[in-house]
Amino acid sequence: MNPAFPFPAITGHDNAKKAILCALASDEIRTLLITGERGTAKSTLARSIRTLVAGKQVLTVPQNITYDRLLGTVDLETAVSCGKIRLTPGILEQGNCQILYADDINLMDEGIVQNLLSAAENGRFSLEREGFSRSIATRFLLVATMDPDEGELTPGQMDRFDLCVRLDPIDDEEKRGEIVRRHLRFNQAPDEFSRGFSPAAKDLEEKLVSARERLPYVSIPDGHAGLISSLCLELGVAGQRGDLAVARAAKALAALDGRDEVVFDDIKLAALLALDHRRREIPDSPPPPLPPQDNKDPDKENDQEPEPPDPETPPRQDPPQQPETADRPEQTPPAPPPPAEQVFEIGSTFDVIRYLDEKSKKATSRQKSGRRTRVLSVDSSGHYRSFRLPDKNRNDIAVDATLRAAAPYQRIRERNGLAISVKKPDLREKVREKKVAHTILFLVDASGSMGVRRRMVEVKGAILSLLVDAYQKRDRIGLMIFRGTGARLLLPPTRSSDIAARMLRTIPTGGMTPLTTGLSEAHQVLTRGKFAGAGENKSIVILTDGRVNVPVNNGPPYHELSDLARDIAGCGIRFVVVDTESGFPRLNRARALAGDLEAPCLRLEDLKNRGLAASVQDFIYNTR
Amino acid sequence: MNGSNPVYPFSAIVGQEDMKDALLANIVFPSIGGVLIRGEKGTAKSTTVRALADLLPERDVIKGCIFRCSPSDTRNLCESCRNRVAGNGQPECEPARMRVVELPLCATEDRVAGTLDIEHAITQGQKKFEPGVLASANGNILYVDEVNLLDDHIVDLLLDAAAMGVNFVEREGISYSHPARFLLVGTMNPEEGDLRPQLLDRFGLVVDVMGERDSARRSEVVKRRLAFERDPVAFCRQYETEQQALRERILAAQEMAACMEADDRLIDTAVKVSLALGVDGHRSDLTLVKTAIAFAALDGVEWVGREHVLKAAGLSLPHRMRRRPFEESRADLGSVKALIAECYGSP
Repeated sequence: MNPAFPFPAITGHDNAKKAILCALASDEIRTLLITGERGTAKSTLARSIRTLVAGKQVLTVPQNITYDRLLGTVDLETAVSCGKIRLTPGILEQGNCQILYADDINLMDEGIVQNLLSAAENGRFSLEREGFSRSIATRFLLVATMDPDEGELTPGQMDRFDLCVRLDPIDDEEKRGEIVRRHLRFNQAPDEFSRGFSPAAKDLEEKLVSARERLPYVSIPDGHAGLISSLCLELGVAGQRGDLAVARAAKALAALDGRDEVVFDDIKLAALLALDHRRREIPDSPPPPLPPQDNKDPDKENDQEPEPPDPETPPRQDPPQQPETADRPEQTPPAPPPPAEQVFEIGSTFDVIRYLDEKSKKATSRQKSGRRTRVLSVDSSGHYRSFRLPDKNRNDIAVDATLRAAAPYQRIRERNGLAISVKKPDLREKVREKKVAHTILFLVDASGSMGVRRRMVEVKGAILSLLVDAYQKRDRIGLMIFRGTGARLLLPPTRSSDIAARMLRTIPTGGMTPLTTGLSEAHQVLTRGKFAGAGENKSIVILTDGRVNVPVNNGPPYHELSDLARDIAGCGIRFVVVDTESGFPRLNRARALAGDLEAPCLRLEDLKNRGLAASVQDFIYNTR
Repeated sequence: MNGSNPVYPFSAIVGQEDMKDALLANIVFPSIGGVLIRGEKGTAKSTTVRALADLLPERDVIKGCIFRCSPSDTRNLCESCRNRVAGNGQPECEPARMRVVELPLCATEDRVAGTLDIEHAITQGQKKFEPGVLASANGNILYVDEVNLLDDHIVDLLLDAAAMGVNFVEREGISYSHPARFLLVGTMNPEEGDLRPQLLDRFGLVVDVMGERDSARRSEVVKRRLAFERDPVAFCRQYETEQQALRERILAAQEMAACMEADDRLIDTAVKVSLALGVDGHRSDLTLVKTAIAFAALDGVEWVGREHVLKAAGLSLPHRMRRRPFEESRADLGSVKALIAECYGSP
């Protein structure tokens, strides 16, 4: 195994290092997430944990993991040789008392992430597959990394992380230089480099040992416990996980510092580590400099007594604290403590919030991107998620599952010299999942009707803004216009924003309105040839007022249109009609078209605030 | 060579200096992290990569190892080689040439990461790991044509392995890990869509190639190609001296780069440039420094000079600049040159 970069040799990122030490010091902290942009040493930091925990293993949970390896499965070899069903433990069970490390957790299969997180949190998981029905106890620390630019976890998943730290690139010239120097030296002679840092690593290990010993005796003064709950309320943290995590982290910080009592600064840092990712709304404006006069929560009134003691003075010595009550701080005192016991003043909640705001400024300035849509794949591409009894002739056999299914019968079957004989009822096929890209084709009326200019500006803006987003989602966007006697594919569906910008510089307008031709050709673009690929989500967004005045087969234009629309409705392509009709009287022809296409109909006039791109996204990315 | 079809010699490739430089730098300093070649079809991308693999001298690998572990690199051995080395010390070796392993666009996840060996399971009733593309790529060049069209989850696997140098497989009843250290070379046509920024950042260097514009050189390209096709063996013989000289230059540079220290001026410059450009993360500093060292070593000089830094900056920075949509990212390179000139003095 190639050596990991030594933990003490990592420059900067002090809070992240503290978070890691907290997680290693406390058994109650079970999940830690490290986020940051690309190239900010997320993985280096996570992997360096290996250099701190001599007695423990760090098990990697790779991107390619399947459920059988996560949860455990039938042991093939014993099943074949003795006909016995025995469980091979999966990574969750192997990880008992160890550390699990998952890189880029936001790219992983959602079910895998869910299983990892709940097993970490509950200290056990249930195995219900292949004839096993068990509940297995396991305790591990999960360390995960992610780059939020590649998609976020759901708020529920985020909440399951006890601690979360964000790494920012270091701007200081000297430190950056030191990073380069250390990295190069490590590359040249990893062993020698690590040896140079081994005294520091030893110190940290010893610190961790004594912190673990001390931790059960660390207590949180009552007043500070109140501070924690009022912080969580103030920040809109849902549920109790946040309160618990702050308390646990604060205790671990105190223990690492060699103290038996949590102080204000512990809570401040613990709040940053445990609450920042759980905040519901991030205030647009900084919190008020003065605490609000009327407190919404009457229960908290006592805690927030604006009584003297300044945060500078150390908290007063509390009566001897029982360690078991300190574990669940939000429930500590059954009766509200007398005001004289208060060790924080009303402003300290806002001190901490201001501190968090300052620290998370950078994170909020970036646009957030959602997770990509995932669907079950129908061909044999995509991530092998699970298996099932085959329903069709698909030829995508899940060999491992099939063999496991066959294994127990081997002792009674005729084997013809093979080790395993497989019969038809054993067959299992793979269920694969893949992330899908969307292909969105805009079909726009460019005839000489009213408001064509404005419509074009709107469409162009929408396409470009969707393409900028397509960086992450890998969608293809195209544009087809219809005018005069025909339709023209002005921009074949593309992922490149550069090409789109170039090709959309001029858009010809004017002439008659051959809507039927446009619709039929747009449909063809997405169903034939290059863009016909299966497994993609395809949508056509039609911007029209629904008028048509060019017949295709010399029939009545509206009949032709309606026939075509009903014909192609429900063929797997999603349609969105954007009605461009404005003014009075209204003919509502677009609405009729939408009805034929079984499509939602939006009014361009009503979209002004939301913008075309955002409205289209709403319809296309949210499966109805 | 080796009796098989002769490969077009590296030294006979006309022009495309940036591409050649970027590839050579990676050979000298493998941790630079690969090359992404952007450009149209028919610009000698794949020819150059294959020629490079053929040019490199054979190296010793442990006999019979499917991952071709190197006996001298004891830290990155696969499980069975580790046991063999621990058991009887000096394992038997055999020479092996660097290969170009292709990752086709249609590759499935199990073929890339490796999976359960079906035949072994059915005939022996035992689980065995069947190595995939990442296993073949260890110690070789992993060539991904049109990397921007690769399926996302395959890209994720690739990044995972490339970042750690190890491929961890936990699938289909198999739990296995093996070294996966390779030179990643990707090609793409930017017109077909952009690359995910995260993947882009993982490529150490990026080269934009264009077809030869000079008509005399264009005809030289054709002339040489035709000569090669007429009589490949004779054509290769003609370039053998040059090939040998280049081979020796690479070997010398590898040795030199391994013990070269980055001086303060180089590191300061790299940091200043990165900060001035506002690039994401720290990879740009590191890549710039390593590439500059590799170029100095290829020139056979102990000290990194201005021209080395300039050349390295041109290959390691453009794709890492924060790009505003619809703008050419090249614009800022002028200011980089000015900064470098400030640190290193004008020519």
